Amino acid sequence: MKELWKLKYSDIKKGLNSGEFTPTDLIQSLIARIEAEDSKIKAFLSWEKENIVQAAAESTERRKSGKPLSEFDGIPIGVKDNICIENTITSCASKILENYRSPFHATAIEKLLAKGFVLIPRANMDEFAMGSSTENSAYQVTKNPFDTARIPGGSSGGSAAAVAASFVPVALGSDTGGSVRQPASLCGIYGLKPTYGTVSRYGLVAYASSLDQIGPLSKDIDGIIDVYSVISGKDQRDATSKNIPAFDPSKVKELPWKGLKIGKMKITPEIEPDVAKAYESLLAELESKGAQLVDLDFSLLSNSIPIYYIIATAECSSNLSRFDGIRFGQRKDPSGKLEDLYVTSRSEGFGKEVQRRILLGTFSLSAGYYDAYYGRAQKARILIKKEYEGYFSKVDLILQPTSPTTAFKVGEKTSDPIQMYKADILTTSVNLAGVPAMSVPIGKDSNGLPIGLQITAPALHEDKIFGFAKMISDWASKVELPETIK
Amino acid sequence: MNLNEESLQKIAELSRLKIDPKDIQNFLTDFNKVLNYVDTITELNVSSVSDEDLYPNEGNSLRVDKAHEGLSRSQIESFAPSFQNGYFVVPKVIET
Repeated sequence: MKELWKLKYSDIKKGLNSGEFTPTDLIQSLIARIEAEDSKIKAFLSWEKENIVQAAAESTERRKSGKPLSEFDGIPIGVKDNICIENTITSCASKILENYRSPFHATAIEKLLAKGFVLIPRANMDEFAMGSSTENSAYQVTKNPFDTARIPGGSSGGSAAAVAASFVPVALGSDTGGSVRQPASLCGIYGLKPTYGTVSRYGLVAYASSLDQIGPLSKDIDGIIDVYSVISGKDQRDATSKNIPAFDPSKVKELPWKGLKIGKMKITPEIEPDVAKAYESLLAELESKGAQLVDLDFSLLSNSIPIYYIIATAECSSNLSRFDGIRFGQRKDPSGKLEDLYVTSRSEGFGKEVQRRILLGTFSLSAGYYDAYYGRAQKARILIKKEYEGYFSKVDLILQPTSPTTAFKVGEKTSDPIQMYKADILTTSVNLAGVPAMSVPIGKDSNGLPIGLQITAPALHEDKIFGFAKMISDWASKVELPETIK
Repeated sequence: MNLNEESLQKIAELSRLKIDPKDIQNFLTDFNKVLNYVDTITELNVSSVSDEDLYPNEGNSLRVDKAHEGLSRSQIESFAPSFQNGYFVVPKVIET
């Protein structure tokens, strides 16, 4: 069998549309790859092989009869375990939802199925999307395909690792404070956090509703553009969905180098020397091509993580109150008092990090502390939004490293929540402001671990991000994905 | 600020969570670390933010008032952990 699993997204799309291979050929190659290698990576919690083979066979049949649903018919896509697929377990990598089978599809899933994508659930994640390393899953720790002693990033670490290990060409994740971009950066792939409100959150299990956004991860930029164009657009079922049409890929245009204004940041002590070097050499290259670099003052953004944790945990304590053993979640201690049922179901069902965040949220929303914490954080969030508006009055795009470090070792930061939270230090402000940002691979450190660049644009300007990413992908250092997993 | 054990237990009660007594010290240490970290925002000057900034008048997002097909009873039954005679079965929730 040809090793089709090695192909990038764009080559897969080309091969399927030219008839070079069928969706069934492709899925068989990917299944063989997953079966041989996922025991080292643990990207998937479970995957229903029969359903996947069946979906690929149906797609093959449609293509043979000349009636594909779209140019994407038969393309496999990994799905994070917090995005609902009808009649499939959606556990959010939590014990409390161990047996939860969704009775409906998320809107993003409906849209992908309508175009013929073949779904590959259930990518592992940090429980309820809370974490930066995919070590907080209740079931397993996912490993980085570049080095299995290291984490893939989180919380969409299963989706990112599955793409980087060539189990799937593209996957869906969700990004609340950096959960698509940070693992994309640490796994050497592309990952987009779209403008808030452009992708429906209907069917995405809510963590922090004002920040969460579904986003694609891919081996190449074309996968990001295609999937975003399919899943974006107004959805009546999500009141926060913007009243604009789906993204039109023909809007992606290369930008002129000359006069292109790029906002850059000063290197801070948190940023590892190899990451700083890759970032600065890319900036120098941009300048030599005629782009104009503008120093931006990011000092206000240093407050982003505290603001983020107050807002996100307040929303999480509210959103996760529905998991009470009655409405959702495993029911424990049903014969005693009602109060005991709630407390036992939740205490046994939620992991430690989830409990810690619920407690912090309850604290900041409680009488006596509301004004000092939650109320103040909401106001501070407005300052962050205004700060971004100020930046974008001076520059076209902002470039930063996506993560201050490359992939760290499994267990290295688990004992210190603050160190773990700081893994998202460069990504959280983007969610607070609601603007789009994407991580693209730009090189490797001295250990051979990938380094990512975060490209941020004004709201609804994903086209600029994509155009710029295409421009630099021709000459920025290529990051080859590992064929052999060690 | 730092929370003491009593306050933490109160918050746990409000959250409908029970912290295992053997974990309480670790939880308290971690919780206070996080609290001290997020405490920095209490020093931020947010006086320039107005109520209009916080609650912009963007109007409500309303769906068309049109009936559409929902889940069938058999679908609902197949997803419910316990379902009898057209009702979800839950433990007794009204205490007398």
